[in-house]
Amino acid sequence: MKNKYMFGGIIIVVFLGLMIYLFTQTNVQYENDFAKVMKSGKTVKATGTWLRDRSYELDKTNKIFSFYIKDINGNVMKVIYHGAMPNNFESSTSIVVTGKYSNGVFQATDILTKCPSKYQEQTVQKAGS
Amino acid sequence: MIGNIFLVIALVAGIFTVLMYFLTYRGYQNTLNYARISFHTTAVMVMAASALLLHAILTHEYQYKYVYNYSNSELPTGLLISTFYAGQEGSFMLWALFSVIVGLILLDYTSKRGDLEPRVMMIYTLSITFLLIMVNPLLKSPFNYIWAEPDFVDIKNINPTYLTIPALQNFIFTDTQSNKQFIQVSKELYNILHANNIPFDKFIIEGKGLNPLLQNFWMQVHPPMLFIGFAMSAVPFAFALAALLKNDYKEWIKQALPWVLAGMMILGLAIMLGGYWAYGVLGWGGYWGWDPVENSSLVPWLIGVASIHTMLVQKKSQERDGTSRFVKTNLILCIMTYILVLYSTFLTRSGILGDASVHSFVDPGMTVYLFLLIFLFSFLILGVGMIFYRWKYLTEHFTYEENILSRELALFTGSVALIASAIIILVGTSAPIFGQTVDISFYNELNLPIAIIIGLLNGLSILLKWKYTDKSQLLKSLQLPIIASIILTAIIFILSGVQNIMLIILTFSSSFTFFVNGEIALSILKGRKSFIGAYIAHIGIALFLVGVVATGGYSKHQQVDLVKGEKVNLFGYELKFTGYKPIEGGKKYAFNVEIRKGNDVKVASPIMYIAEFNNSLMREPDILEGFSKDFYIAPISYDETGTENSNSVKLKKGETFNFKNKEITFTNFVLPEDMSAMMSGKSFKIGVNLQVNFNGKTIYIEPYMENTSDGPRFYPAELKEADLKVFINNMNASEGIVELTFASISNTESIQSEPKEILTIEASIKPFISLIWIGVAVTVIGFLISTFRRLKESMN
Repeated sequence: MKNKYMFGGIIIVVFLGLMIYLFTQTNVQYENDFAKVMKSGKTVKATGTWLRDRSYELDKTNKIFSFYIKDINGNVMKVIYHGAMPNNFESSTSIVVTGKYSNGVFQATDILTKCPSKYQEQTVQKAGS
Repeated sequence: MIGNIFLVIALVAGIFTVLMYFLTYRGYQNTLNYARISFHTTAVMVMAASALLLHAILTHEYQYKYVYNYSNSELPTGLLISTFYAGQEGSFMLWALFSVIVGLILLDYTSKRGDLEPRVMMIYTLSITFLLIMVNPLLKSPFNYIWAEPDFVDIKNINPTYLTIPALQNFIFTDTQSNKQFIQVSKELYNILHANNIPFDKFIIEGKGLNPLLQNFWMQVHPPMLFIGFAMSAVPFAFALAALLKNDYKEWIKQALPWVLAGMMILGLAIMLGGYWAYGVLGWGGYWGWDPVENSSLVPWLIGVASIHTMLVQKKSQERDGTSRFVKTNLILCIMTYILVLYSTFLTRSGILGDASVHSFVDPGMTVYLFLLIFLFSFLILGVGMIFYRWKYLTEHFTYEENILSRELALFTGSVALIASAIIILVGTSAPIFGQTVDISFYNELNLPIAIIIGLLNGLSILLKWKYTDKSQLLKSLQLPIIASIILTAIIFILSGVQNIMLIILTFSSSFTFFVNGEIALSILKGRKSFIGAYIAHIGIALFLVGVVATGGYSKHQQVDLVKGEKVNLFGYELKFTGYKPIEGGKKYAFNVEIRKGNDVKVASPIMYIAEFNNSLMREPDILEGFSKDFYIAPISYDETGTENSNSVKLKKGETFNFKNKEITFTNFVLPEDMSAMMSGKSFKIGVNLQVNFNGKTIYIEPYMENTSDGPRFYPAELKEADLKVFINNMNASEGIVELTFASISNTESIQSEPKEILTIEASIKPFISLIWIGVAVTVIGFLISTFRRLKESMN
């Protein structure tokens, strides 16, 4: 019995220990309050919606894509992303940007756009009611 | 309607089956026949309902909400069939369909092996009834009519001849944002149509269609394979519970083993088919992205594979000396495999991962969410409860000591390593539940050392003998594979250039697995060939891991702009964009890129198009596949400069834009002093006053518009010290808005010159990614051979 628990135990203990350590190192929190995002300066996944009326900018020469994003409380921040405009960006209902806030802008390393397939129904329901 | 009746009968018969099998298990004599008849009823009803749904899809019966939501008449037959499982209701139907088919085979199998049938079939049918509750008309049946709940249907999908009916006008709505018109379908509408003798399937004449991301070959293969794997993973669970019920732990191992092998073969293949889909069509760039949906089916696979190894120990030890080793481990792993399949379903179907996954699933609603939880917890409690109930007996009867140098211990330790990997992935994937998420590096860094351990243990466990190994003998048998592995590792890394110590060790570890298994496989070829399965599977895993090292450590990628007709050198190739052409009847565009190396010219044609379905840009990569490397081209964007200024900004009065460390504020319009020219339509100028702050200086510049009889002309302004040139694209003086383009003077040619066609791509070289697919194929063959071997043994 001892050998079994020793070998199995070592693997489990070592890797779960490593896992907890790495988890605290690499975990990223979801945040839908931009006031906190701007204050903390930590890497977060900020969720919000794209401010349509302020459009977006594509800087071709430097390959920078930037736009404005709004959280549930109405806080707005500018997002800068080095790369191409993601698929579905213009039809997205909500956006998750990963990165951190520094020097007055949110430097995104990743953008995830959400476009529920029920999008049409939702807008209509708003209009109909 | 008939479909729903079939599903309800199937569910009732399923519950009756469970009951009858239970009574048979409790010793009733005449209930077995009822159970069998009733199970067949369930199976036939599920098949009939599936056939009905398929028929409704193929004949475009849009009165069914499910058919309307996921298909349309434009889809080719293959994809049309695949819309069967494009949504949640249909995918549970498919799961239930495969479950009853597996159930029929299982019934036949267990009825020939002692008194297994009542216990195994009772548990297995229970799992089927839960699936049937999911597709029951009260929860989410694919046969529910579209008018059952109020819904909006785009007016373009409605038969125009009926739109003039006065009574319908109250149901037409206009969405102010998109200016689209919709019809609200509801019971009232149905009644009105009914009163006017209009059949509903003539009223709605077109469906919403299938998400373009799903419109490809792999949609027809990957999901069905995955659901067969899911359906089969409930079998070992049923066997384990059957053993716990009878309190007899000997027989079930050999009876369950072929099922575990076949189930894990199919689940593993399904997972990697998904990987190939993501790589080859969706353009994720790699075969694996640690996406929650991918992860959640990998976790049960890892546990299932771990169970194969410890089950083998129990089977072998029983045959050799009648001791049953790792009984508890085997029970727990077989139970957990299915529980984790259910957990995976919960994670991906409950909408809980909403923000975390590329696969966006629509929130299925509270009832489904709750029921999924009930489903999960019922089986968790059933499984864990039974183990808990028998724990004392198990501990008293099955506690053994393993020798350090024994194959038993090596296999057990290997299984623990697999379990550790499963736990790590499970924790990372579940993190979004708690509002957290982990970086990809979390998975990579933790699984790399585990893969190394598994590779080493794999080779070692095969060299070790059952029960006890002589040390000197082991050392002798280790020599050859270790030397060969060192040589191979050295060659690989001298050729590729050493970089990462962990990858070197992983290469060594997989070479070790490769040589140990290869040597034995060769010797078996002369003897009993049916024994070769495991070794072939391990060789496949070794090849797979070498592929992982090569693509993980040595991939190169770069984003480049390809101007039409101009050559660009990249990774030793010469790339030239030669233009695009419409394909598939003008629905999509193929962008042809000539890739030249020496005299060898190939053409890659990545695809981009705007999908009507979700009104967004879709991109499909193209890959020049080769054994030693893939040249992967993912399209990013296509622009014709000069016709459209990508760098343009709209500014209102007082707004500031930051361009290359220069703050440019639009202060005001400079209107002509003599307003009469403007009024009388003579030529006049309007200036745009801009305040430029740079290097601590403030300077004003004024590009302007001149309105002549030919229409407006815009004149740019330059500021040499700031290397800035500003163009006006458009202005609206009454609203105080101006649209400007900023450029550096040193770099303005591209804006003023002739229109250029520019294709932006992400090009990458993936060395030896072919080994990943070859490894998977080899592993599957190994699994298949082992399944047949263990199937034969299960009869003894």
